[in-house]
Amino acid sequence: MSGRRERVRSAIRAARGGLRAVARIARWEVSRSVGVVDRRTAALGLLALLLAGAVGGAATAAGGVALDRDVYRVGVDTDSPYHEVVVETPALAARPPEVDRLGRGVEVVVADDHVYVADSRKAQAALSTFRDAVRRHNLDRLREERNESAAFPVVVTLRYAERTPDGVVAGGESGDGTGTGTGTGTEDTSGSAGDSDGTESAPSGADGSTSGSGSGADTATGAAGVDAATGSAADGPLGVPGFGGAGGLFGGSTSGSPADISPPFPFGALVLAFLFFVPMNFVIQPYGSTILNERINRRGELLLVAPVSPAAIVAGKTLPYLATLVGVTALVALAIGGSPVSVAAVAPIAALYLAATFVGGMFARSFKELTFVTVSISVFLTSYAFVPAIFTNVTPIALISPLTLVVHDLQGTGVTAAQYAFSTGPFYVGSAVLFALGVGVYREEDMFTQRSVPLKFLDALNSRLKGRKSVAVLSALAIPFVFIAELLAVAVLFVLPVEVSIPLLLVAVAAVEEVAKSVHVYAGFRGPFADRRGWKAALVLGALSGLGFFLGEKLTAVVQLVGLPDLALGRAAFSSAGIAATPAVGLLLLLAPLALHATTTSIASLGATRDRATYLAALVPAIAVHAAYNFAVVSTLG
Amino acid sequence: MADPRLTIARRELATLRSEKTIVLALLIQLFIAAFSSFLVVGLVSLYDPGSVDGYETTVGVTGDAADDLLRVVDEQSSIAGVGYASQASAERAFRNGEVDAVLLADRRAGRVFVTATVPDDSVRTTLVVVQLRDALATFERTERGDRAAFLSSTPLDLPPRPGSGSTPYYGFSYTVLLPLLCFLPVFISGSMVVDSVTEELDRGTLELLRVAPVSTVDIVDGKVWAAAVLAPAQAGLWIALLDFNGTTVRHPLAILAVVGALALLVVTLGATVAVLSPDRRAAQFLYAVGVLVAFGGTTLLPLNPVNTVARLAVDSVGAAYPAVVAGYLALGTGAYLLLRRAVPALGVGDR
Repeated sequence: MSGRRERVRSAIRAARGGLRAVARIARWEVSRSVGVVDRRTAALGLLALLLAGAVGGAATAAGGVALDRDVYRVGVDTDSPYHEVVVETPALAARPPEVDRLGRGVEVVVADDHVYVADSRKAQAALSTFRDAVRRHNLDRLREERNESAAFPVVVTLRYAERTPDGVVAGGESGDGTGTGTGTGTEDTSGSAGDSDGTESAPSGADGSTSGSGSGADTATGAAGVDAATGSAADGPLGVPGFGGAGGLFGGSTSGSPADISPPFPFGALVLAFLFFVPMNFVIQPYGSTILNERINRRGELLLVAPVSPAAIVAGKTLPYLATLVGVTALVALAIGGSPVSVAAVAPIAALYLAATFVGGMFARSFKELTFVTVSISVFLTSYAFVPAIFTNVTPIALISPLTLVVHDLQGTGVTAAQYAFSTGPFYVGSAVLFALGVGVYREEDMFTQRSVPLKFLDALNSRLKGRKSVAVLSALAIPFVFIAELLAVAVLFVLPVEVSIPLLLVAVAAVEEVAKSVHVYAGFRGPFADRRGWKAALVLGALSGLGFFLGEKLTAVVQLVGLPDLALGRAAFSSAGIAATPAVGLLLLLAPLALHATTTSIASLGATRDRATYLAALVPAIAVHAAYNFAVVSTLG
Repeated sequence: MADPRLTIARRELATLRSEKTIVLALLIQLFIAAFSSFLVVGLVSLYDPGSVDGYETTVGVTGDAADDLLRVVDEQSSIAGVGYASQASAERAFRNGEVDAVLLADRRAGRVFVTATVPDDSVRTTLVVVQLRDALATFERTERGDRAAFLSSTPLDLPPRPGSGSTPYYGFSYTVLLPLLCFLPVFISGSMVVDSVTEELDRGTLELLRVAPVSTVDIVDGKVWAAAVLAPAQAGLWIALLDFNGTTVRHPLAILAVVGALALLVVTLGATVAVLSPDRRAAQFLYAVGVLVAFGGTTLLPLNPVNTVARLAVDSVGAAYPAVVAGYLALGTGAYLLLRRAVPALGVGDR
C-alpha cells in the first residue's frame, strides 16, 4: 500500500520536475531568439514593416491592384458612348477604331453601331470582358436615376427553403445581420401597396450606390432591397468596411435588383479566415531554424546530455512558438470579430504546422532543404484547410477542414461540439503523431549525421515500433495523413476531365492507403523485426497492419455517423465502403474491406522482407488489387 | 584552372541536385499551379452555369405578373417555366420536387416584386440561383424598356455574347497562372541564396573558402549566379509546358529576359539581406517581408512585372516593349553591380 503511494508520489515529483525543465527550456529558447535580433536587424525589420504598411495603405487608396491592366485593346471613337466604358475598365485599353487592324493591334472594334470581333480566343475573352464592363457601366448609371421604379422595376427577394414534405421552412436567410425577419408570405403582400408609395419618395441616399428602397412595412417583404445586403456588412459581426460594395459579404445577398442577388458563397469570411494563415507561415520559419540550429555543429549535444528527456526539450522549444501563434490568432480573431471558437479551431492547425516543421527540421540536411520543406508544408496545409472551406455552405463534407468552423463562426452560424471534434480531431491526432515521430529521432545518432531523409523517416518509424501490436496502432494513426493526401489528390486531379480523373483518383487513393499501411512494416524489417524476415512474419504483420487500418477507418466512419448524420452522402466519396442499409449486406460490406486491407498489406509486406526494390515491386500488385476493389465498389454502389 | 566563381556556382547547383530539393521545388510549383487552377475551374463552373451544360432548371411561376415573367423565362435556354394559378399549388409542386424553384411575381406601385424560393440543399442551389438571376435580369431589361420614358438616359446596348470559342479561363491563364509560374522560381531562388549564405556563415565554412585563393566577391558572385540562372530555366520549362498544353505564350524570349532580370534583382536582395543579417531566422524574415513589399508595391505601377509578363504573353504590347524589357535588365544588373561594390566594404565573415 505504502509502496504504491510512494510510486504515485515519485511520479508526481517526476512530472513536476519535467514541467519545470520544459519551462526552463522555453525561457531559454525565448531569450536566445530575442538575442538573435541585433540592432541592425531590428531596424531593417522595422523599416520593412513600415514599408509593408505604406504599400498596403497605398493599395487600398489606389482602389486595388489590376494585374490585367490594358490586356485587351478595344478600338472605339472618343465620342462614342462606349469610350467611357473602355477608359474606366482597367483591363481594357482604348485604341482608334480601325477595323482593318482587327487582330493585329485591336481585338474588338466598335464602329457605326456595330461591334467587330477578331477571330481568336483572345478576342472572345476581350468581348466577354467588354460585355461585362458595359453591363456594370449601365448599372452604375441606373443607380444615379431619380426614378427608381423605372430604373429597377424588378425587386427580387431570395429565400432558401428545405424541401421537407411537411412544409416549406421559411427563413434560412444565410446570415444577414438585419434581423428584420424576412419571412415572406402572401399575408405580407396584401395592403402593402400603400406603403410602397412612400418607399419611392423616401430619400434613400444614405445607401450611396445601392438601390435601396427600404422603409415602411415593406421591409418585411424584402423590399428592403439592397439595404439588407449593406446592412449585413455594416451591422454584422464584422467591423471591416470596404467589402460591402460587393454585396452579401456573408453568404451572398438575398434581395435587391436581379443583378444584386448572388449564390451563397462566403467570400468575405474566407478572405478573413485566410488572415489566420499569414502569421503561421512566418512563425514556422524561425521555428524550423531553431530546430535545425541544434543539429549544426553538434550544438544540441549539451542539451541532449542534460538530465531532461528529449520530449521535454522538444516541448520546451516548441512552447514559445505555439504560444505566439495562439496569441496572434487571438489578436486576429479580435480584430476581425471572431469568437473563441475561431481561436479553438485555428489552434490545432497551428499545432500541425509546427509539428510538420519540427519533423522537417529533424530530417533536413541543410537550410536550403529546410526552406523547401517549410514551403511545402505551408502550401499543402494551407490548401488542405482552404479548399473544403470554400464549400462551407454547400456540403457538410467541408467540415473536414477546421477553417470551415471559422467561416461558420464569422457568419454567425453556430458550431456544435460534434462538428468541432470531427474537423479538428485529425489535426490533433496528426500533430501528436508527427511530434512523436520527431522525438523518436531526437537522439545523437540521427541528429548529427547526414543521413538521407528516407532513412531518417524509417528510423523515426522504427523508434515507435515495439512489438507486433504497434504495427496495427501505427496503421490506424496514419489515417489523418491518408485523409490529407487523398483530399489533395482530389484537388489536383479535379482539373482533368472526368473520364481520366476518376480512374486516376481511385489509383491514387489505393496507392496512398497501401503505402500508409505498409511503410512501417518495411521499416520494421530494417529495425526490430530484422531477424524475423520469413514469409510467416510478413503475413502476420501485413494482416495486423490491415486490421489496424480497418479499425481506424471504421472508427472514423462511426464517429461521423454518430456525430454528423447529415454527412452520410459525402462520406461515400472517401471511404472504400460505406455502411449499408440491410444487415446482411452490411456485414458483407463491413468484412470485405477488412479482407481487402489485410490481403493487400500482406502482399506489400512480403516484398518488404527483402529490399527496397522488392518492396516497391510488391506495392504494384497491392495497389492494383486495391484499386480494382475500389473500382468495383464505385461502379456497383454508385 | 577554371574561374573560381563558376566552380562555386557549380557546387551550389550540385548540392541542390544531391539533396533532390530542386525536384521538391518543381513539385511545389506544379502543385500551386494545379491548385489555383482547381480553384478557378471549380469556382467558374459553380458560378457560370453556361460552362456546365445539360442541366435544365424547371421553375414554377405564379402571381399576377406571372405571364410576363413566363414569356421571358421561356426564352432562356437553360431554364423552363411552368405557370401555377396560386402560390399554394406552386409551393406544393416545389415540395414534391416537380419544380426546382418558385417565383412569385406581383405588380404593385409600378414595380414587380419577385420572391424566389430555392432549395436549400446542395451545389444545385448555386446553379439555380445563377440561372434565376440571368432570367430575372432579362426580365428586368424588358420591364425597364417599358419605362424608358421615365429614365434620363438610356442604357447602352450590350455587345453580343462571345461565341462558342470563348473560354472563361483565358484571362486567368495569362494574368495569374503564367506570372505565378514565372515568379515563383524567382522567389525560391532568392530564398535559396539567403539560406546558402547564412549557412556558410553559420557553419564557418566561409572561412575555409576564404583560405582558398578566392575573394568574398567571388563567393557572392558564384552563389548569385547559380541562383539567378535557375529561375529563368524553370520559367522556360513552364512556358514550354503551357505551350504544349495549348496555352500559347508570345514573346517567350522577352518574358525570360524579364524573369532573368527580376531573378538577378531578387537574388541580389536576398544576398544583401543575408550579408547584413547573418542569422537565418532574421534573414529569412527580412527577405520574405522585403520581397512581399517590393512585389506588392510594384503591382500598383502601370508596367509592373506581372502585368508586363501577361501583356507580353498575349501580345498586347506596343512597339515600345523592347525598352521595357531593357529597363528591367538595367534594374537587375544595376542592383547586382551595387552589391558587388558593397561586399568588400561590408566585411563578410569577419566576425
